[in-house]
Amino acid sequence: MTEPSGEPSKPKRPVVVPALGLVALTALGIIALLGGLKEVPDTVPQLAKGAVLDQGRYKTQFLDAVYHVEQDLRFVDLTFKVTNQGQDTTLLGLPPTKWESAFTGQNFADSIVRITPAVKTRSGPLLFVTSKAGETRQLHPNVPATVTLRFKLDGQDPPPAKLTLDVAGFEYEPGFNDPTSHWSIISDEEDDKFFPEVKAQVTLPVTAKESA
Amino acid sequence: MNATQATPGRRARRNKRARGGSRVGGILAGLALAGAAIAAQVYALTPNEIDAPLTAAGSMGDEVDAWRFSVKADSVTTAKAVQTDAKTVPAEQFFLVVGLSATSAKEPTNIARPTLLTADGNSYTVTDKVDTSRLITRPFVQPGFWIGGYAVFEVPADALEGARIVLRLPGGGSFVEPYSPEAEIDLGIDEAKAKQLSSSPQDVYSLKRS
Repeated sequence: MTEPSGEPSKPKRPVVVPALGLVALTALGIIALLGGLKEVPDTVPQLAKGAVLDQGRYKTQFLDAVYHVEQDLRFVDLTFKVTNQGQDTTLLGLPPTKWESAFTGQNFADSIVRITPAVKTRSGPLLFVTSKAGETRQLHPNVPATVTLRFKLDGQDPPPAKLTLDVAGFEYEPGFNDPTSHWSIISDEEDDKFFPEVKAQVTLPVTAKESA
Repeated sequence: MNATQATPGRRARRNKRARGGSRVGGILAGLALAGAAIAAQVYALTPNEIDAPLTAAGSMGDEVDAWRFSVKADSVTTAKAVQTDAKTVPAEQFFLVVGLSATSAKEPTNIARPTLLTADGNSYTVTDKVDTSRLITRPFVQPGFWIGGYAVFEVPADALEGARIVLRLPGGGSFVEPYSPEAEIDLGIDEAKAKQLSSSPQDVYSLKRS
């Protein structure tokens, strides 16, 4: 049945195809050994007390978390040293109530997208800069400021032993539908929804301060 | 048929032009034009600049006419504390107090919170420490007469030299007005004046109603 012209010369040994097959098999084996082709989960840097994080618009040092009692009112104060690295005075803002809604934010507080465990407080958190003149809510460019995030604790629950903050970063980019550049929270799109991208997780132990 | 008859004539003309030795010149001219077009892109405005307000500029003491309102910067001084009707407010280092007056062209309006634009492009909003009762942002500015007020800034000492104060009208919420007017007044702070202002602020500047 074979063609007569093919008979005289001995057919070449098929080398290339099996060799390629072997190479492919080996490669597959190596990939499988290394954990397959699944996306490697992003590891979020873990920071401790005193760490400095460059958030783009702000450079932030996470100083401490202090529990204190004043006239039967119980507070947890988180303190930060924040330097506005942008060119404009900004307001502190308030931390987002839901972390999904943080991506539209531009202010410092919007970057603290989540605090675990959630602090139970009815009155909502307070955020202010301490100064000689009392409390202010402005961050001026290139002026380091000590920022306090204050929670008034409800009921008689003991304060949490430690708090973990999910902190996002900012980028100076054009917006979704306007070409002008402005600072906004770096976010990821997932199913047409935008979620803030957690740049670092900061864990602060809550230390008790004797009431004065 | 007309087309084919016309062809030799056109070709001859084209040959004549090429033979004229102008082909190299043409290419050079084309390259020069293309280069100039590319170079001109450095003058293209960024989206931020296109959306920026229209600025009327002036210097200390001038009546700066920003179309819908006019402003004048009368005085510049520094103080370690500012006294208002309510209380005396201390500064971390010093407050920069700018005395202003303003009038409106046609309609009553407010002046938005002023900003201080520094030589290196930073912009500082007026401080929120000082009570607004005597600030330029408080009264309605009406046509026909000038009304006085202050702007109080808290800025680092190195921001003083070459600083300009920028005044605008309040924005309309989420509707951004294209080419909104702004007035930019050079406070006339040179190196010596900056040193003097930052090194010897007066103790208390009074914004009290007398």
